[in-house]
Amino acid sequence: MKAIKIQLWYGLLLLGILLGLITAYRVLIGTGFVLYAKTDILVWTMPIAAYVFFSLTSSGLAFVSSIPVVFGIKRYQPIEKRTAFLEIAVLFAAFTCLLLHLGSPQKVYYYLFSPNLASPLWWLGMLYGLYLIVLLLSFRKMHKAQVSKGLGVFTLIVAIATSTALGWLFGLPDARPVFSANFLAMYFPLTGFGSALAAVLLFSLAYHHFAKVPLSGGDRNLYEDLGKLFGFVMALTLVFFLWRTIVGGTSATAVEFGGFRHMLSSGWYHLALWVGLVIPILMITMPAVRNATWGKITAAALFLVGMFAGRLEMVLSGLVMPTGPKAEGQPPFVSYWPTIWEVLVFVSALAVLLFVYTLGERNLKLSEAPE
Amino acid sequence: MPKYAMVIDLQRCVGCGACSIACRNENNVPDGIYWSNKITETAGTFPNVRFHYLPTLCNHCSDAPCVEGCPTKAMHKLDNGITMHDPDKCIGCRYCQYNCPYEVIYFNWQDPHKFWRNPKPVIEGGTSSPKEMAQTVNNGNGAPYSNPGRGKTLPENRPKGVVEKCTFCDHRIKVGEIPYCVEACPADARIFGDLDKPDSKVNRLLGKFKPYRLKERLGTEPNVYYIRSFNPAHYQRTKGGI
Ligand code: SF4
Ligand code: SF4
Repeated sequence: MKAIKIQLWYGLLLLGILLGLITAYRVLIGTGFVLYAKTDILVWTMPIAAYVFFSLTSSGLAFVSSIPVVFGIKRYQPIEKRTAFLEIAVLFAAFTCLLLHLGSPQKVYYYLFSPNLASPLWWLGMLYGLYLIVLLLSFRKMHKAQVSKGLGVFTLIVAIATSTALGWLFGLPDARPVFSANFLAMYFPLTGFGSALAAVLLFSLAYHHFAKVPLSGGDRNLYEDLGKLFGFVMALTLVFFLWRTIVGGTSATAVEFGGFRHMLSSGWYHLALWVGLVIPILMITMPAVRNATWGKITAAALFLVGMFAGRLEMVLSGLVMPTGPKAEGQPPFVSYWPTIWEVLVFVSALAVLLFVYTLGERNLKLSEAPE
Repeated sequence: MPKYAMVIDLQRCVGCGACSIACRNENNVPDGIYWSNKITETAGTFPNVRFHYLPTLCNHCSDAPCVEGCPTKAMHKLDNGITMHDPDKCIGCRYCQYNCPYEVIYFNWQDPHKFWRNPKPVIEGGTSSPKEMAQTVNNGNGAPYSNPGRGKTLPENRPKGVVEKCTFCDHRIKVGEIPYCVEACPADARIFGDLDKPDSKVNRLLGKFKPYRLKERLGTEPNVYYIRSFNPAHYQRTKGGI
């Protein structure tokens, strides 16, 4: 019975990956990017939002996995290996989204042959390449023995660099002040950390449930600890979120903030605020809910859903208001709803993540603490 | 080394759009993409209204954010000041579109000149198909009326998955010709030249009138200048009133 369930699960994930391959074929070789709801106004949409979501979660996971080795808090060791492997699986999901976003991904080798050191996008590409290598190295060490402090610190530094460089990338153009590099360089790592805590809670508790491994006293304490930390990070995120709303939304008068003001009334914004922050924060503040496994799982899942909506809202905020010649014949704000192909980008990325993770969970003893 | 610039005289511009049509012909610009474009605006409250027309194109900024952000140097500056694009190096990330404050870069979302790839005859058994037509006239390379001259410095038709934009007709400049939009303007509202020659036509105009450039506060140093404005209206001298 168990074997059938596992096969079904793998089958489902392979189907998700197959859908991604079909999407890749249709956009890159077949019909083209007209299959996405992108236009020359909305040049970045759901695939990029999904990329931001996954890549920041991956960097956030590096912060979590570095807690025992870099900061010496040993009681986090039982989740270190799972977290480290999740970083890799989530990064693969991020790469899937990026691959399906790029118009000509077959030419990325020009990153090496024609580098532009002034470009944040070049740095980000390089940093993520380095990040993947460092993660694989760290995990290999962890699997055999323990990660050295030096390697742990290096992984953490690269993770900080990637998540802050993403802020630089969005904040580069002075023409889009709604993306402030200063703000995003703080907001991205913070929310990445929050997403990572949610992912760790979700995957670890799911492991206990599906593998029928009861929670020991130590596990319970650890997850309660994580729950509290998660609540604190969510509260901090809410503070940043509200300040962003006030500074760039309700009090800004510049035309360039028009897109964000418009998005304040969108479903994505409210999903991010209410479902992603207010409800899970309220849940975590109640000890009975926080200490219950279902409470932590629900709050974590809601936060991740809200975070995804928030990433999309943020990307759209800088783009929905057409300007210059591209505003000709357009409404003051263009609307966006993803096409099925864009949804498939997300679905296939999630399938890649879960496939890689399941392989790890079944073969690499992720619940063991490094020696 | 020359430093090319364009002056657009808004008093001469009649808003006919000949520049945009000429640009499409010269550069084989596909549907939905505009290297040469315009911003129109209706100002005032009815019945006191007025129509304004501003021709736009890539400003070939001296400090171009599209170039700064491009990870592979596909978008780059030439020594003569032109902001040029190399589709071979372009990975289609569209970061340049995100960075350009002037919204003049377009992406090839699908194969260009789709109509001319259709194998179905327009009238079954009566006419040839668009694809056959393009094949006969132009080896199937884009539209039958494709200009092979464009192919000297860029692919004649840019492929799916890369961006494209105005190049100041770099292929014409190379052989000593001015950009085709300038050539085609019936009102001589576009004046092209070298800023490095103190006595060039562009320098003379820039010294004579008070020029302005789009979004100057961003510090991108555009090389497309606008002078004068078209307004034949008169009004009776007045101090207004309450
Ligand atoms: S107008 Fe836009 S595309 Fe042209 S050089 Fe300036 S920033 Fe680049
Ligand atoms: S789309 Fe092409 S030209 Fe534009 S930034 Fe990306 S690689 Fe450079």
